[in-house]
Amino acid sequence: MTWRPTALNVSFLTFVGWALFLGVLTGRADIMVVAVPLVVALMIAGRPRRTPVFELAHEVSTDRVVEQDRVMVTVTLRASTAMPLLELFQPLPPLVTVERGRHHAFFTLRAGEERRWTFDLRCSGRQRLVLGGPHVRVWEPLGLAASETRHQTRATIAVYPRLTAVRRLPRPARTQTSVGNYVSPASGDGIEPREIRPFAPGDQIRHVNWRATLRLGKLHVTQHHPERNADVVIMVDTLSHVGPDGMTVVDAAVRGAGSLAAAYLARRDRVGLIEYGGVLRWVKPGSGRAQQERLLETLLRAAVVFTHVAKDLDLVPPRVLPAQALVIALTPLLDPRFVDALANLIGRGFDVIVVAISPIASARAATRSSLAADVAAGLWALERRAELDEFRRRGVTIAEWDGEGSLDAVFAGWRRPRVRQVIAG
Amino acid sequence: MIRLLAAALVVALAGLPLSVLPSLPLAWLTVPVLLLGLGGVAIRSVPLATSGAALALIEYTFTLVITGGRVDVLTATGFGAAVFFLLELVSFADRTHRATIGSAVLASQLRRWLGIAALGVAGTMLVTIGAETLRVALPGGTLPLVVILSALGALTALAGTVRLVSRPSSPSSASSRSR
Repeated sequence: MTWRPTALNVSFLTFVGWALFLGVLTGRADIMVVAVPLVVALMIAGRPRRTPVFELAHEVSTDRVVEQDRVMVTVTLRASTAMPLLELFQPLPPLVTVERGRHHAFFTLRAGEERRWTFDLRCSGRQRLVLGGPHVRVWEPLGLAASETRHQTRATIAVYPRLTAVRRLPRPARTQTSVGNYVSPASGDGIEPREIRPFAPGDQIRHVNWRATLRLGKLHVTQHHPERNADVVIMVDTLSHVGPDGMTVVDAAVRGAGSLAAAYLARRDRVGLIEYGGVLRWVKPGSGRAQQERLLETLLRAAVVFTHVAKDLDLVPPRVLPAQALVIALTPLLDPRFVDALANLIGRGFDVIVVAISPIASARAATRSSLAADVAAGLWALERRAELDEFRRRGVTIAEWDGEGSLDAVFAGWRRPRVRQVIAG
Repeated sequence: MIRLLAAALVVALAGLPLSVLPSLPLAWLTVPVLLLGLGGVAIRSVPLATSGAALALIEYTFTLVITGGRVDVLTATGFGAAVFFLLELVSFADRTHRATIGSAVLASQLRRWLGIAALGVAGTMLVTIGAETLRVALPGGTLPLVVILSALGALTALAGTVRLVSRPSSPSSASSRSR
């Protein structure tokens, strides 16, 4: 840390210069005397000073939060030498605001004194937040010299998207082999009865339907539908960026994807993820808490990467996009490359549900309110409705979502054919 | 609170010459002093406050030249101390704007400012005694010496200002950027 003169010296010297000049010009000693307090201050501030010695510890209360949660930052200072005026300044990354206290502080410390400074930050957007150490500036008491440094610590905080509970989930048309919550059209051990048929060698005694056996005079067994899980692949469109930071359509898609993933995983389904954008990222379907962590970590990094290249879904390995999977695409339907990818999936026989996120609210949030903006938004809404109707006419299953409300409301009136009906059809 | 104190100092600096010589031209000169000084205090700008203080000094000089009264070292020292306090207060208000200020900071600063003001008074006394001694020892020969020393001082101040201004950056300007 080296001491450097501050801009206040310029003011002092300017005034001293004026006083001496006017004193000489007028021949009055008292005009020169006016400069004396300032000259004394400059002389005292110009003395050689010792380098301040101190220890600084910078801690954050947690390394994992969800959007809008608070993080408490604690800075502990221990001065080895006296510090008449110490300034601390914590630079804030984007989408982070101070919730309690201030991120800028001044302290006076005696030699050996310890001081703790805390403030709360609110993280309003999903990100991997890197909070560097505070800037430290030691001031000469009169503010005429200062030395500064930056504390070289980095605290990383994962700010996960805020998830909402989704109770009404779209049912997958096809199921997999593991135990789950969906009634499979196949025969097997389960609760849901399927049919009653005559006893055949190999049938278990516990499956005998005694009532039907007594009525028909011959052994009959009840067959059941097994409860199976399903594969769900959530596809997030990161080709389009609309709205202010923290409220973009990508942020909405990420929140929706996280909520859907958590809800399907709670039903013991296997959930995978494809981030379709400038960079194609994926997580192969899996289940359990570890899978949810993997999905959230991937969603944390989801961002728009500009490219002219259309990514081919054929690049995605079959184990990431199983043939029987239900694909839920969260998209504002603004980029034709994503629409082509959806058409590709539907053409290949995938069960696809499109959650169309309205970009209008995000766009309005980024623009100033005016009559022209209102009219433009109205026209855009009409045009968008016509586009979505056109998609529906082509047989695409679409649910509209404003990106802000709960996905429960989106799927409330949702009607999916039951598995048996689909298979029978 | 800090800015109120600084505003009071600006009013005192602007009003002192008027209290010595109440006249219309001086009253007109008070207007830019108040505008610059109070403006500097309001927006926490040290350069504006300095401009206001420099104008107040010009106003004070006019007053002394017009009245032609005897040398008043005490009032001049008070004027200088007031300018010192004004610049320190505005600078401190600017640095600590929207910052948490520790409990001991204000008391510590006040102690140091008052200490410097006291040293300023002591310095003035020393300069006065030295000047008186010279006047007695070298009758009639002190004026060229004072003029030369003062001119050298003014030149030194100018050189220091130019050197500081031409520096690539200073901590206070870095502070403005980082905020």
